[in-house]
Amino acid sequence: MKEVKLFHGPNHPGMHGNFSVHLTVDGDTVKKAKPNPGMLHRGFEKLMERRLWMSNIALIPRVCVPEPDINETVYSMAVEKIEELEVPERAKYLRVIILELARIAVHMMSIGGIGGPTGVYTAPNWALNERDMILDIFEKITGHRIYHMYIVPGGVRQDINEEILEFIENTINDIESRLKDYYEIIFESPIIHKRLKGTAPLTKEQALDWGVTGPGLRSTGVKYDVRKKFPYLVYDKLDFDIPIAEESDAYTRLYLKYLEVKQSIKIIRQVLSDIPKGKVRNKLMGTALKWKIKEGEAYGKVESSRGEFGYYIVSTGGRYPYRIQVRGASYPQGLYGIEAGLPGTRLEDVSIWLDTMGVCSPEVDR
Amino acid sequence: MYTKKLMEKIKNIIRGHSLFMLHYCTGCGAIELPPTMTSRFDMERLGIAPMATPRQADILLITGYLSAKTLRRVIYTYEQMQSPKWVVGFGSCTINGGIYYDSYSTINELDLYLPVDLYLAGCMPRPEAIINGFERLIEKIENGDADGWKHYKQNREWYKKNQKQALGDSLYTTR
Amino acid sequence: MEQKKVIEKISNEYGIKKIKFKKIENQQFKVKINKKEIINFLTYLKNIGFWQLSLITAVDWIDNNQFEIVYNLVSWELEQHIIVKTFIPRENPRITSIINIWPVAKYYEWDVNEYFGVVFDGNPNNGKELFLENWDDKPPMRKDFDPLNYSKEKFPEKEYKNFRMKRKREVIE
Repeated sequence: MKEVKLFHGPNHPGMHGNFSVHLTVDGDTVKKAKPNPGMLHRGFEKLMERRLWMSNIALIPRVCVPEPDINETVYSMAVEKIEELEVPERAKYLRVIILELARIAVHMMSIGGIGGPTGVYTAPNWALNERDMILDIFEKITGHRIYHMYIVPGGVRQDINEEILEFIENTINDIESRLKDYYEIIFESPIIHKRLKGTAPLTKEQALDWGVTGPGLRSTGVKYDVRKKFPYLVYDKLDFDIPIAEESDAYTRLYLKYLEVKQSIKIIRQVLSDIPKGKVRNKLMGTALKWKIKEGEAYGKVESSRGEFGYYIVSTGGRYPYRIQVRGASYPQGLYGIEAGLPGTRLEDVSIWLDTMGVCSPEVDR
Repeated sequence: MYTKKLMEKIKNIIRGHSLFMLHYCTGCGAIELPPTMTSRFDMERLGIAPMATPRQADILLITGYLSAKTLRRVIYTYEQMQSPKWVVGFGSCTINGGIYYDSYSTINELDLYLPVDLYLAGCMPRPEAIINGFERLIEKIENGDADGWKHYKQNREWYKKNQKQALGDSLYTTR
Repeated sequence: MEQKKVIEKISNEYGIKKIKFKKIENQQFKVKINKKEIINFLTYLKNIGFWQLSLITAVDWIDNNQFEIVYNLVSWELEQHIIVKTFIPRENPRITSIINIWPVAKYYEWDVNEYFGVVFDGNPNNGKELFLENWDDKPPMRKDFDPLNYSKEKFPEKEYKNFRMKRKREVIE
């Protein structure tokens, strides 16, 4: 048998993002895989050391492109931990709205994204429309579609009025009314069944070994969610379930995302009915350009759509951060997971593997 | 002579209405491409569709910042494409480095390395801006103004010199 | 479990009384430990439930001439997050690898090795390139590396006075 070396990506229709995997294949079966990241490396951690605490807010959403809000939240949370700054109650609720809307948007994009590697092009055409409706909400709240820079240390940038809250409610009602159609068009489609069921299996031991979190881990039966175990914002006051599955393959991982969309809608409903009145931001001392954060370090983490997302921040009491390290949610499966998990997969399933594991290249490269 | 010019003009009009853009997400601007491609904004009505291989593509989109590691692949990809071919630079990062002006791994000005036919300002450009930009590109192609690929051929040495400054002497291979 | 109980448990069972724990918040605390103890301590932590390795990172304390290696561990049963820190000298930085305890540490350590130049004894990837390509300067995350100078030297901007090309730049709003 002759082994051939193949370069899967970065310019490949099956790759989501600018990422590359070196595959050694024997026939159609992958024998060895080596990730080749760094195509999107911008040196964020170095750039953040050179910018003020406030101007970093403009830089960090770019770390993870599909889901930028978690970056702002984690950064703000870590800074608040060091500074021991309280966040007003209303701001916490507003943050939850933004985070859950972002989760729906990303899940919709990955549910639609499965259309690429499987050839079901109805899926992206439908699901991305749904995502765009959420981007419209973001535009109303923050003024931009993708990068919002809405969440800042101490709260959120500005309040939102009743009209927008009503708009959010109407939109999620709209989305919910169509979720049944999604189930029929995507999860009951014979192509999706044939291509995804049993493809790219993941065992519980593998998931724990690699350090996978998020839907990938929950699909193997482990009920771990940062929102439940390390409650942040107001998640301990809200009532929601963590969907889990027993046997993990590409189909169940995708289906869990669909179930999580339903839970997010449930969360947003509760937030919209419970949201208290009040101010939305506790200001730090002085103007934003003169902020000084106390000496210390903290690790802030949230549950992103792909798992645990964290920032490790060190401050020496100055106007600039001393060191920031980003822990991308898909870092474990994007690097070690590829090396350990891809061998044995068939070549045509590699894109499905990468897609349903949720490998997000900008946050791996940083 | 006149017929030749006329033929060229007709060819340009036809070229402008059947554009294949290379499916290569080089940076974060690529996140606005799926909405542009699918049902809401639908750029296929302008005759633009994604293409998987560089050999049959006409447009190379540089969607945002470009790290040196990607630049090597992008040059490789660009030289594989058949002319006529056009390069569109997305966002402020391709114009002057944008927010990454002091980054050690991203380039600052794209048109030192590749001939850019059109820039789209913004971080990141909205789908409306992308559509508007493509309309402008089509107009330029029809008028015969979008001639970056000719420029690349004529000034090859100048481009190669810049590329070598950024990437080192081995342009196509890595250590 | 409450943080106090976890801290009590660790200091009673692990046997070193001198370990100082410091609370960051209710579910997060940090501890400083000697470089020689690190393998034993992390193995112990894994056994009592801290079996997710979240992150390995380094901090360059250039004034003290030291690198700080930071291990972030999470326990889901105890619902605690622990930050374990150790210091190594900045000249010829070496520390034992923990890939035998957590295989995924291979890439975290590779990351630190590439960006800080810290050598992890036992990791097969020391000195290889992961994110960067044809890198020809000192490791970029060190404090004495200046990215702006590097960027100016490698990726210059055009000088518009001597610019001979005839093409116009065009920007669409």
